[in-house]
Amino acid sequence: MPSIVPAFGWLEGLAWTTALRESPFGYPLIETSHVACIVVFAGLVIMMDLRLVGLAFTHAPLAQIQRRLFPWQMATFVPSTATGILLFCVDPLRYYRNVFFLAKLVFLALAGLNALAFHLKTYRRVEGWDEDPQVTAIARLAGVASLLLWSLTIVSSRLIPNNWFK
Amino acid sequence: MLLPFFQWCDGLAISQAYRDSTYLFPLTQALHVLAVTVFVGAIVIGDLRLLGWGPVGQSRASITRSAGSILLWAGLAVLLTGIPQFTTNALTYHRSPLFVFKMYLLAAAVLYTATLRRGVAVADEGHLPSWVPKAVGAVSLALWMGVTISGRLITYYG
Repeated sequence: MPSIVPAFGWLEGLAWTTALRESPFGYPLIETSHVACIVVFAGLVIMMDLRLVGLAFTHAPLAQIQRRLFPWQMATFVPSTATGILLFCVDPLRYYRNVFFLAKLVFLALAGLNALAFHLKTYRRVEGWDEDPQVTAIARLAGVASLLLWSLTIVSSRLIPNNWFK
Repeated sequence: MLLPFFQWCDGLAISQAYRDSTYLFPLTQALHVLAVTVFVGAIVIGDLRLLGWGPVGQSRASITRSAGSILLWAGLAVLLTGIPQFTTNALTYHRSPLFVFKMYLLAAAVLYTATLRRGVAVADEGHLPSWVPKAVGAVSLALWMGVTISGRLITYYG
């Protein structure tokens, strides 16, 4: 199997990634924008999850909360992802072997799959959500899974600078 | 002026335990960020509603009240995970303009949220000109994002 490491080496050697890595402001500013977008994105996802599990905003219909938060989640997800990819490009050789970075990607993928599965399973009957007891049970499960997976994603992200397992 | 207090924090047993441990500080930091995310989520959902966006099917008061209990719990977690980080690094933070800035901004944000923002959010919806809740929501968003961003920048610029 061809190794991906040379590609990361090439990416790291590019003029713009080198410039960002060596600038005293480049990396911190992208990273701070990344965090600023993520807290809003993940924060709103968690608000939705708390509604799904029935811990908050219970007076509001589930479908309504979902529909009204979704555009804001997407509006912050896109710049979160863009800045995240940029951060990786600046220092690929540092990240690709980092345990917490890899764990983060796994949790992120699982969180995405969970959201997608919930969406596909319930979307067709979105209007009947709040009355359908089967959907309520699925919603609770999806909410708990989402809370857990996003929490793990955030915690492992913040641990990336600590290279505990070399 | 506050130097003796910062020195006292630095000398606490918990600060020493944090300095001695490889794992304690980073794990506390990670849980702090998680608690901050939940807190900011509960702020943003309320601010969006004040701005006339987000869950407009619900009244401003009902969204703010439900978000209020999340704010309390998440705020408590933010505080519990923030305090040991502060005491461990108290002597560094004493010289950090960003840390001082964050604390002033945090105090302003907490005061603003507990008084003006809360008052406007629970007020009778017909009684206020429509620009008032919008302005209150925008200022709240700016204050809390300012706290979050300045907190993040402490890592880089002390």
